[in-house]
Amino acid sequence: METAILEKDTELSRLLNRLTQGDNIDECLTCGICNSRCTWFDQQGGPVPRQIVRMALLGLERELVDSRMLWDCLICNRCTQDCPMGIDMDQVVTKARGTAAAGDQIPEDISKGIKNRLELGDVNGLTKEEFVETVEWVAEEFADDMEDPNALILHDQPDCKFLYLPNPRELGINLMHLTAMAKLFYAMKETWTLSSNHTDVTNWGYFVGKTDVEEQIARRVVETAEALNIETLVLSECGHAYHVLNCRVEQLLGRKPGFNIVSMPELCLAYAKKGILKFDPEIHPYEIAYHDPCNIARKSGGYDAPRELLALCCQGVRELVPNREDGICCGGGGGMLQDSGTTKKRMSTGKPKADQMRATGLEHLATACLSCHRQLGELSTHYELGMKVDTVAGLASECLVLSH
Amino acid sequence: MTHSSDSVLVLGGGIAGMAAAQTLGDSNIQVHLAETADRLGGHAATWACMATDECRQCGACLADDMVHQTGCHSNISVHLNTTLDRLEKTKDGFTAHLTSGETVTPARIILATGFTPFDPSALSGLQFGRHDKVITTARLNQMLKAETLAGFLGNAPQPEIAFIQCVGSRNRTLDRDFCSQVCCKISLRHSDKLLHLLPDADITLFHMDLQTIGKETRCLAADLSTRITLAQGVPAEILTDPDTSRLRVIVEDPDTGARVAKTFDLVVLSIGMSPSEELNRMAGQLDVRPNLWGFFNTPDAALADGIHVAGCAAGPKDILGSRQEGWTAAAAVLKELRHDPAPKADILVWGDGHNADTIARTLAENGHTTVCFGRGAAVDGLTVLDPGRILSVDGTAGRFTVRYEQEGGRSTLTCRAIIAAPEPEYQTLAGQADLSGALDLTAFAGTPAGQLPEQTAILLDYAAPETKAGSRLALNKALEARNAGRKITVIMNKMLVHGAQGQQIYDQARKAGVKFLRYNIPEDIQIQKTDTGFSLTLKETTLPGTIVTLHCDQLVIPETSVPGPGIDNAARLLKQEKDREGFLQSPNVRHRLTQSPRKGIYFAGPAHDDVDHTDLAAELDGIMADLDFPGPAQHAGVEINQKKCAQCLTCLRICPHQAIFLNEKDRPEIVPNACFGCHLCVANCPALAIESASSALDQAAEEREKDQTVVLACQRSAALAAGPLTLPDPVRLISVPCASRAGVNLMLKLLVAGAAKVIVAGCHGGNCRSMNGSTRAREEVSRLLALPGIPPDKVTWHSVAANETQKLARIISDTRISSKDL
Ligand code: SF4
Ligand code: SF4
Ligand code: SF4
Ligand code: SF4
Ligand code: SF4
Repeated sequence: METAILEKDTELSRLLNRLTQGDNIDECLTCGICNSRCTWFDQQGGPVPRQIVRMALLGLERELVDSRMLWDCLICNRCTQDCPMGIDMDQVVTKARGTAAAGDQIPEDISKGIKNRLELGDVNGLTKEEFVETVEWVAEEFADDMEDPNALILHDQPDCKFLYLPNPRELGINLMHLTAMAKLFYAMKETWTLSSNHTDVTNWGYFVGKTDVEEQIARRVVETAEALNIETLVLSECGHAYHVLNCRVEQLLGRKPGFNIVSMPELCLAYAKKGILKFDPEIHPYEIAYHDPCNIARKSGGYDAPRELLALCCQGVRELVPNREDGICCGGGGGMLQDSGTTKKRMSTGKPKADQMRATGLEHLATACLSCHRQLGELSTHYELGMKVDTVAGLASECLVLSH
Repeated sequence: MTHSSDSVLVLGGGIAGMAAAQTLGDSNIQVHLAETADRLGGHAATWACMATDECRQCGACLADDMVHQTGCHSNISVHLNTTLDRLEKTKDGFTAHLTSGETVTPARIILATGFTPFDPSALSGLQFGRHDKVITTARLNQMLKAETLAGFLGNAPQPEIAFIQCVGSRNRTLDRDFCSQVCCKISLRHSDKLLHLLPDADITLFHMDLQTIGKETRCLAADLSTRITLAQGVPAEILTDPDTSRLRVIVEDPDTGARVAKTFDLVVLSIGMSPSEELNRMAGQLDVRPNLWGFFNTPDAALADGIHVAGCAAGPKDILGSRQEGWTAAAAVLKELRHDPAPKADILVWGDGHNADTIARTLAENGHTTVCFGRGAAVDGLTVLDPGRILSVDGTAGRFTVRYEQEGGRSTLTCRAIIAAPEPEYQTLAGQADLSGALDLTAFAGTPAGQLPEQTAILLDYAAPETKAGSRLALNKALEARNAGRKITVIMNKMLVHGAQGQQIYDQARKAGVKFLRYNIPEDIQIQKTDTGFSLTLKETTLPGTIVTLHCDQLVIPETSVPGPGIDNAARLLKQEKDREGFLQSPNVRHRLTQSPRKGIYFAGPAHDDVDHTDLAAELDGIMADLDFPGPAQHAGVEINQKKCAQCLTCLRICPHQAIFLNEKDRPEIVPNACFGCHLCVANCPALAIESASSALDQAAEEREKDQTVVLACQRSAALAAGPLTLPDPVRLISVPCASRAGVNLMLKLLVAGAAKVIVAGCHGGNCRSMNGSTRAREEVSRLLALPGIPPDKVTWHSVAANETQKLARIISDTRISSKDL
């Protein structure tokens, strides 16, 4: 038993309790609803959501940090989805992670990634020159593949319709994915570009609760896009980027960006509805299950587009139970997947998800976030589910019908 | 003067609507009672009896009684399957077109559309409608009533059952930031009933803050606390175990603080109340404006001229509260229609404090000549006499004689009615060892905000149970002090959020930054006096394993109320029993809220229950409604034949309602309106001088055929329960005015006439309209069985409430099976 002196006026309680929806922890009713809904379910260890809120609201900042619940939390917001007071665990945990007291708990991989991102523009440390080199090489290959010199992958090209914000893995171990996306843009018959100024979609400032870092990264994205004079920013399939750039950017920057923001599956669906993109579902002669990335679904309301697109590309979409608002986190959220030391833990946080996947009896699963994608793939292997995991846009690209 | 041309439209045939209709009908008003369903009684009529070893005072069986009486009332036209279609306002009332095609022209309308149970399928995590073992309280009631629960649970010997409270209540994001008031009480009664039926059941009640409001609920919760698990925190998600299909919920283990899974066979969702769909539909027609929740219980809601509201349409409340509101609304209508109230004279108010003072002044303002044995100032129509000087109270409703001492001499006054509102004693707890130096809550409340210390802690529920008034005062003052910039911590076991706006005030207090700490048991708190104030160390329930220390300049603690000599004295002189905590409250649901078993004597204020000033106003309205419009004198059909009477006065002593008084000739006489027709006097009179309209019974008894099973059923309970049953031929049901009418003589007569079995069925203890009638009947059965040659299963006693039709059917069929065995 430890004795804590109630210290109400701490950095955390000053950060929280602005009494706007979300960070209003003082209003907590102690109803306990959140405790029953944590993504960790009855897995050992992990956060107890009400304890996080209560410690924060009673000013027990040190106890909260020492409990080590802050980095076990997946910031998936499943717990507070039904909170009667509209408290938002995402806000509570990220703000707590951002306090000085929690400073030395930031996983090394994440600190390093942030440093790389701020200094080099890429979390993996890819330099501008390397970026350009990689993109140009991929572009060449792509034009060859498509047997069309007009099949372009441009970078830093102003006045395009789209700016594509890739996942860092698309310029590293998963170049194929970039090509797959390029194919989709090509079929849309629209101009698009990448930018070497900020090469990726990620914003790890969000995971560590450092609003200044988060703002800096977001600002760079927005200002570059504005400088390039594009019409729409297209996000690679990434949960937290979707959430930050759709739901948080205005508050971070104090203004609305001067362009539209959509994710790749949303864009594909829109072009399919216009009759421009055509898919051949026979390529995927199976029913597929869909995993809602928490950041896109519960936290940002993006439920339908990936499902609708999948329905055009496969033989039907099967729901995991539960799903949508009540969907279960893949077990790798909140920065856990970005921390290489968590593999074992992630197999435990992902157990409920794995159970859900197994219960479908299917062999295919898709999701709209590359992080979830990685975690789900690892779960499939670890729990021997025999399930192939794809991204939604990746599948769409696979069954794209190109009309020459 | 009666205005027989006046008519009133009552919308809704539930408890409130029936209560209003009866009061109006009794005053010769033509009532149109429109009910959308195909039967009267509303939700209450579908509820099960909660009696265990005795009546639990839930009031559900009163619905059946009321349906019966409403149906028989000559001034009430019941329109079933009917509601309002169109309404036009006229010069002195309305023209209402009913969906049945009829048109009525009521002078006034009473809105008693009741409630709709919250539909939990809106909360997808609860699996309601997807897993058959997730049910609502309403469904549990139906199963208990139909006696199908055990089968539904697969006759599991030790079922694990969970109740989840506050489903659809106390939830701001659902725009339902109110407490539904009744559900904690209901789940406690349900738990008690389940344990009665399934003694090995393992019950867990998940609650947010258990609303132990009122003595009954407080005692029941205390009693249950060792028999069931009371767990703070309400799960919002129910999972299914893939292997067993049993229900699982994830909760925080109170000892280790870890998330753990608990498994259950049945989960009961304690759903809150929503306004009825009917009301939503009709609000526009009626030109009424309910509040955001759809009720009329906050100042922003508005009714229209000529329209009154009663029962759950006004706001969530229990059966007895709805009935009382129906009566009150009817009285208000009668007043508006200028019906002459009963003569306003001579009400005695008894009580030495501000509650009695308020009551006395309000009565005087309403034209009642009032005498108050209390302390307030005399005004027009109100005489104040020295309290504590009453020597005796005799007589009965309408003619009480009170002897008292005044200025050395003795005086007598007579009065129509007596309202007993003695003040309980408020004891400070600040003197107790660890609390020495603490401040009383009322003293804290009286301190101007500017003079309050920097840091204050208010400790609730610690040395004495939390009360409505205490928790509200604490909340209001905490908020006020907080808004004046002070740091306030409220330390509590639970927050009582009773009343329409209790939840909103609690929400406001947290929003303003009042901190709330939770503890489990008083032993979890250590209090230390320091140089500058107090230091409190406690185990915070929401943080298992963490002990928090709080320093404050001042510690505040509410006073506790204990019965005290004022209440003792009133109980003694009014010949009323005290309840188990020593307060004045009718032990019988039929007389609550404010009536005593003795007609004309009322209880009000904290002398009888956890009553705050809002409740007191409602109680007083109820009492005045009863005083003003008591309805016609009712003759219970019992009369003393003065020629036979030996003047032994046995009846006078034995009457549980003090309905017999000595007339000028010193002979006992029965006051028709005060007599409940229990027939105890009839059965006990040694000279057989008391005659009853039901004496034909004995005659009838002798005419019974051979080999019949005879059920002697109390008119107000078992006989009503038998109403819907088609009894097989060899069973005869004889309705008796009170089960006690089934004396040894009558039962013997039946046996001699060849009855195979005699079943005596009457009220549960505590529900008997004649107070002791059912106890007496049970004794008579034992007495008979003690006679030589009577086999033990020849005559049996059973408690059967009016709503226990299924139970009565089972008793009859069991009895018949065993007689076949013989
Ligand atoms: S955000 Fe997710 S992981 Fe964190 S406490 Fe809530 S449900 Fe659990
Ligand atoms: S659900 Fe919301 S109000 Fe309830 S305990 Fe959790 S944070 Fe507090
Ligand atoms: S006898 Fe009536 S009031 Fe008593 S518990 Fe049964 S139904 Fe409720
Ligand atoms: S706290 Fe109020 S709303 Fe919740 S179950 Fe109890 S009585 Fe009902
Ligand atoms: S019948 Fe009952 S209530 Fe009436 S006078 Fe006799 S004993 Fe009293």
